[in-house]
Amino acid sequence: MKTNEQSRRQAAFMRWLVRIFMILVTVIMLYPLIWNVYSSFKTNNEFLTNAFSLPQGIAWDNYARAIEKSNLLSNVWNSALIVVITLCVILVFAVPCTYCLVRYKFFGSKLILNIYMAAIFIQATFIMIPLFMQMNALHLLNNRPALAVLYATMQFPFAIFLLSGFLRSIPHDYEEAAMIDGCGPSRILLQVIVPMSKPGIVTVCMISSMSAWNEFPVALVMLTDSTKQTLPIGLANLYEVQRYATDWGALFAALVLALIPTIIIFLIGQKQLIQGMNAGGLKG
Amino acid sequence: MKPQVADQIKCKRKKNPVGFICVCVLPTFLLTLTFTIIPTFRALWLSLTNATSLGLNSKFIGLENYEYMFQDEYFVLALKNTLKLMACVPAITIALALVLAFIISQSDLKERGLYRTAFYFPNIISLTVVSIIWSFVFHPTMGILNSFLNGVGLHVWAKSWLGDTSTALWCIAVTLIWQATGYYMVMHIAAMDGISNEIYEAATIDGAGPIHKLFSITLPLMKDIIGITFVLALSGTINLSFTLSKVMTGGGPNGASSVLLQYMYEQGFINGNFGYAMAITVFTLTISIVLSMISRKLTNNES
Repeated sequence: MKTNEQSRRQAAFMRWLVRIFMILVTVIMLYPLIWNVYSSFKTNNEFLTNAFSLPQGIAWDNYARAIEKSNLLSNVWNSALIVVITLCVILVFAVPCTYCLVRYKFFGSKLILNIYMAAIFIQATFIMIPLFMQMNALHLLNNRPALAVLYATMQFPFAIFLLSGFLRSIPHDYEEAAMIDGCGPSRILLQVIVPMSKPGIVTVCMISSMSAWNEFPVALVMLTDSTKQTLPIGLANLYEVQRYATDWGALFAALVLALIPTIIIFLIGQKQLIQGMNAGGLKG
Repeated sequence: MKPQVADQIKCKRKKNPVGFICVCVLPTFLLTLTFTIIPTFRALWLSLTNATSLGLNSKFIGLENYEYMFQDEYFVLALKNTLKLMACVPAITIALALVLAFIISQSDLKERGLYRTAFYFPNIISLTVVSIIWSFVFHPTMGILNSFLNGVGLHVWAKSWLGDTSTALWCIAVTLIWQATGYYMVMHIAAMDGISNEIYEAATIDGAGPIHKLFSITLPLMKDIIGITFVLALSGTINLSFTLSKVMTGGGPNGASSVLLQYMYEQGFINGNFGYAMAITVFTLTISIVLSMISRKLTNNES
């Protein structure tokens, strides 16, 4: 009895030890962001007094200046446009391609799959100079839809890698049943495979949209026209300017404005994303 | 009746719908060819020339770019910095991610879902935003870090973190770890949840503690996943360090925090030396691919 009591107390102690550790990690993970949010309401004088102090009043004009002095709104619009096109391209191209590569054995199917697996390591950042030359040769610099297609293409290897795991785990029985019912391959794909691999597709969509929304190096090279630049580029430019103009308030406000859409998408999609990842892990 | 149906199915499965496959695979592969494979080979070819951004009179110069690379002290510095990051960032990130994933997946804390969300969050933020926020964490006068050090009476330690040649690179390392840990944690949680509970229960009956379980059940069963995430983290470190170095320090002070891709960008788009920049591209790509092959092999051998 006594050992039971003891071990229970020990377990409770351990639990609190673990909890304290986790809370500490949470503070490290979230404090910089929270600091960013409340500092965005500080006046520029308050910035110089104490880093941790809360703002005295709420300086909304930081936000007004952030929008006024930058191209923030057009940056957001450009980024949104690029994300939408990227997603469409990935859905239309990568899903059917993965299905064929996984389910049919044909000449070159293994080779193509291997090329995609190897291409996972060729990040767009690595080859940004030849990509720049390629886009330049095709007259596609400063072209947002073209950049979106490029983003989608750079996501293909990862998308195919993730989706192929999902598709392999779907038993052949469903397709065979559909085939007996007289379904052609395209109907099987749309009505059997796509619904069954929905968690995988959603995960791919989430990851791809995040990476297109956040991508910096390639956009930096491809979009030089300030009316076509995406949000990360706009923010980096704003940081370059404000670091010397020392309008910290406006800069922090711009960062918060950039965070808001990400937070909203994350809160909506988080469950789907993690569920999808879990399912992917479960099914191998 | 039944065997007949089975035969029919087998027959159908053997015959491939060629048109359907072409429509599905070819356009996708064509895009990959145009925007991944051709540019990669083009980089390989251009690295052997003295091409410039003006595109005039590029000549084949053999391996000269590669020979020059190792005499270029700024390149060597960038290479050393990248190797330093690669030596510590992936290992720390994956170790942290594993511990956090194990706690979230195995502990009975009620709020573990919240931790998962909180730790994953830094990863979804644009790396540009992360870079700017962390520049302010390390800011000499109004930064969180120096204010904290002053607050607890360690004035001596406070310094201009990003402006100091000895610390600038490590600031980038910390930022990289901060933003990547949650991502790998979620991947590890997914894999850990896939391990059957019965194994853990059996271990509990045998009297195994949580640390014992982590080392003798979870880690061996997850070897493959850990191998994959480690390779992803290596590749990610080379890749993501560009944005951080570009935005946070611009490679400074005096190249102390420059990394391979950042130096490549500078050579290509600021100095216009496409040929030389391409040689750096090929070099970086080779490191990334060789490393991934080595670590894949290692994980395969162990199992």
